[in-house]
Amino acid sequence: MTSAERGWRRLRVVNYLEPLYYILLKNKRGLIGLIILFIPLAMAIAPQLLVPYNPWKTVDKPFLPPSPKHLLGTNDVGQDIFSELVYGARISLFVGFVAAISSVFIGTLIGLFSGYYGGVLDEVLTSFTDVMLLIPVLPFMILLAAVMGQGYVNIIIVISIFAWPGVARLVKAQVMSLKERLYVEAARAIGASNWRIMMNHLLPQLLPLLTAFIVLRIGGAMIAEASLSFLGLGDPTQKSWGTMIYWANNSGAISSGLWWWITAPGLMITVSVLGFTQIGYAIEEYVNPRLRTKV
Amino acid sequence: MESLTYYVLRKIISRAIVFYIILSVTFIIPRLLPGGAFAYLVANPNVPLEMRNALIKEFGLDKPLWIQYIQFLKQFSTTGNLGISFSRLRPVSGVIMSALPWTIALVTTSVVLSAIIGILSGAYAAYKRGGKFDSTMVSTIMFIRSMPSFWLGLVLLIAFGYYIGIAPLYGAYTYGATYSNAFEFIEDVMGHLWLPMLTLTLLYTTGYFMIMRNNMIDVMGEDFINVAKAKGLPERAVVFKHALRPASLPVITALALDLGWSIGGALLIEIVFSLPGVGKLLYDAVYMTDYPLLLGIVVYTSALTLTLVTFAEILYAYIDPRVRLR
Repeated sequence: MTSAERGWRRLRVVNYLEPLYYILLKNKRGLIGLIILFIPLAMAIAPQLLVPYNPWKTVDKPFLPPSPKHLLGTNDVGQDIFSELVYGARISLFVGFVAAISSVFIGTLIGLFSGYYGGVLDEVLTSFTDVMLLIPVLPFMILLAAVMGQGYVNIIIVISIFAWPGVARLVKAQVMSLKERLYVEAARAIGASNWRIMMNHLLPQLLPLLTAFIVLRIGGAMIAEASLSFLGLGDPTQKSWGTMIYWANNSGAISSGLWWWITAPGLMITVSVLGFTQIGYAIEEYVNPRLRTKV
Repeated sequence: MESLTYYVLRKIISRAIVFYIILSVTFIIPRLLPGGAFAYLVANPNVPLEMRNALIKEFGLDKPLWIQYIQFLKQFSTTGNLGISFSRLRPVSGVIMSALPWTIALVTTSVVLSAIIGILSGAYAAYKRGGKFDSTMVSTIMFIRSMPSFWLGLVLLIAFGYYIGIAPLYGAYTYGATYSNAFEFIEDVMGHLWLPMLTLTLLYTTGYFMIMRNNMIDVMGEDFINVAKAKGLPERAVVFKHALRPASLPVITALALDLGWSIGGALLIEIVFSLPGVGKLLYDAVYMTDYPLLLGIVVYTSALTLTLVTFAEILYAYIDPRVRLR
């Protein structure tokens, strides 16, 4: 085996190709998710190829209804709403991805430590997790976002801080059963450190499940971003689907019946969340085939 | 097994500790802000000079931090006060207390309605598993669960309020209306609240339906169900008498544990429909950077959630003693 091959194997890229085929193409839900996500992903990857106008420029009269010239009309300052929608994909999906990854990261660390070490550390971390699951998260998120100030990095931080507890609980349960396995005991017997056991023996076992958690949490993070933006806590210098709804609502789209302006960005969020959830379930089914019997 | 009294005490004490921690966090956060507590509590141009001086004295803002902390706890425990709202120039506690009944009414009505609908439709879907009703419900619910809650509210508002015209566009009652009796007032309020309630009920039902359906499928596979069937009881009796009860119990736990989330959703829906509840306050507090009000909302919604969750847990421990097994 060449060192490059070893490197690939270590990164588990090769091992991921086969599951990917089963999850995205062979599984019905995975395939549906992939198809659903095609439009939002295309918008995020190459917005400049899809838009007719610059979303930041005033291109026509304000408040125009949908027409062949402006597919979704124009907004309060005469920007093309369809172009805004296409450019909004990037921020919304980016926040969703990064917040999901970082919240799963935090949750995994906490679950790993509390499940592996047990004792007082576990008591402390578990009661902390329980409290986080209990509190009304939305007011806390709003408070923190208001204190930290506007900006997408801050929104990602706020979401990650409050989205990890569910992951921590699930990871802890997994770790508690994994650490009793013989191979972990064998590793300990030959003198492996706790850190080494956690990182080299437990974490790789959890990876498939963590992938499912991440994908399943992208949707929640996107909705959280939209909710914060809807309250005016989004980044005013960027366009996301959430901030679009905020501006539509604050420019009287409801009382003037401009339904396309409200509906389009929300529908994009819904469709993306649905797509990620389907793929997330497909991964879960692949990881844990017993789930297949239920739905 | 723990005795019920011991269980209740243990729960109440641990929740009280949690609340104390939340209270302390809300003490620390404004003091971490640039300018410190002084800026946060009093240095707002809206606050008149006498009130400013009174506030400094009341919360001891010119004194060291630990004295401020004691003053803060004393203020809260004796009067429930957390400061003066910048935007309304009234004590935060009073502002929130006058908004809270709206939120509580909205949340409890929708939770109860959706629990009933969720339990019954979930049980029926599990009974006819894989059938037309089941698959339609599951896919509809998947779709609704993918929506941002406030967006569902906006869409329903523009549809029923603007295009169909059978719901008012904002508010919980007609502004400036006079009522000759209480019934007219209730009628007016219901005419305004039905759509936000419908929205919340739709949102909450999705969760209860899924939990109920999955529980029911599990319970239907248990031995005592087979026994009931073997005795020759009719299918309907087995499902709706023997399986429904044990399967619906965990819905109570889910109901309790999700309360924080449910209240969050309700706040967003209140903002969409411009209802005079805590959600509206939250929106105003963010809009006017009214930190005392924002902190007050965090403290009071946490207190509300913790109380309701503890109450639900105690109820559950009473119904199902197995929870008390340590």
